[in-house]
Amino acid sequence: MYKAVGVLCILAGCAGWGHSLAGQERERVRHLRVLSQMMGQIGSEISYGKHTMPEICLLLEGLNDECYSECFGRIYRRTAKESGTGFPKVWEEELGKCMEPFPLREDEKRTVAELAKSLRFREEGGQARRVGQAEAFLEGRYRQAEESCENKSKMIHSVSILTGLLLAILLL
Amino acid sequence: MRAEEILSLFPEESRDRWREVAKQAKRLQEIRIRAGMPLSILLDNREYFLDMQGRVVDGPEEAARPAPEELEDMLGHLCRYSIYAFADEIRQGFLTVRGGHRVGLAGQVILDGEGRIKNMKYIRYLNIRIAHQIRGAADALMPCLYEEGRLVSTLLVSPPGGGKTTMLRDIIRQASEGTVYGPGVNVSVVDERSEIAGSYLGVSQNDVGIRTDVLDGCPKVEGMMRLIRSMAPQVLAVDEVGSLADAQALQMAGGCGCRLLATIHGGSFEEVRQKKYMRYVMEQGLFERYVILDRRQGACRIVEIYDREGKPCTRR
Repeated sequence: MYKAVGVLCILAGCAGWGHSLAGQERERVRHLRVLSQMMGQIGSEISYGKHTMPEICLLLEGLNDECYSECFGRIYRRTAKESGTGFPKVWEEELGKCMEPFPLREDEKRTVAELAKSLRFREEGGQARRVGQAEAFLEGRYRQAEESCENKSKMIHSVSILTGLLLAILLL
Repeated sequence: MRAEEILSLFPEESRDRWREVAKQAKRLQEIRIRAGMPLSILLDNREYFLDMQGRVVDGPEEAARPAPEELEDMLGHLCRYSIYAFADEIRQGFLTVRGGHRVGLAGQVILDGEGRIKNMKYIRYLNIRIAHQIRGAADALMPCLYEEGRLVSTLLVSPPGGGKTTMLRDIIRQASEGTVYGPGVNVSVVDERSEIAGSYLGVSQNDVGIRTDVLDGCPKVEGMMRLIRSMAPQVLAVDEVGSLADAQALQMAGGCGCRLLATIHGGSFEEVRQKKYMRYVMEQGLFERYVILDRRQGACRIVEIYDREGKPCTRR
């Protein structure tokens, strides 16, 4: 009886672990989609609206995902108060902090967090193109991740169940 | 004006150097920053220099000399790290920043195929002119600008630096708010060089009154007609009439029933009358008052007021 309960617990634990890993992958796809849409929006606000970056953050505060929305609100408030801290520094700090727990890869996080360092273009076309490069990178990653996500999660689920079975056999 | 407003012009890294200067915000007129050259400031019409510790010194020998990178950082900060958003202003050679202060820029210009200025690079010279709005500058003048409770069209005349724009700004404010001489009216301002309202991100930094609409950065000729069509002003104000096209646009605006407030460079009434493009405007009696101004001991002074026929006005 105890052995059967133990085996069930191991199997449930491993399935849960597998489910959480697959969830992380789905979460990564969602974040990549949000970030690439956000880059698109920043690009169009630069080229059509000719807004400054702090103003764009204010617009993004109202439009985006809750976790990013708060972050952009903080960036706007910190830079609009004219504290004198450079916008690239505030952007990097806030977005770095915001993205820390997200299941994104390091280069994806870096692309977003370091974007503000490249905001030195003197005309909006060049600036929008630079943001467009970041958008294309994130969009590519999003497509890749979306395509592989379903297969990956099936595989993760199978491997986790098999791991559970293997553990149960070994322990028995 | 608050010291924080002056400090906010500088990025965090260089603020300590400017704290002492910012405390003297009321006396401060100008800050000149040139790459590799001594930092200088103008306090009460006298030039001083600033050393590495931010102390105000008399001579340039001990003065701090900023590196080109510091100017680039400062430009980025003034443009809110969005230089592209200020490309038009940079092309014109100046920025208006929070507080209405004007930052003149010089460096190397980039020309387009037709020889027009496309942009500017290697910006190595900044001249920050600190805005000081003088409320009540036009108090002595206001009684002469009203007839039967109605503001009359007025041309302010003075040499450069004579206080025309300061006076115009205060007349606009008082006309818009209303005075004991007449009720407040809707005033529209074509602020071609952002000197009247000192708009920053579309918001007027100077007090130009509660019934004032500002068209910022727009050429006068186009702006005047646009405002008449869109904002139905009772008074239309422009700074520095300087061409036949400007004079013709004023005439058209006057023909639409607007009263006009304008300024022009000149030392005297006669000098203005000699300007070809103003002759017809004056013959038509478009302006009912001509106010001649000059600056004496740092203060703007009314030299004379003339009526539409060019006779000295007796209502002073």
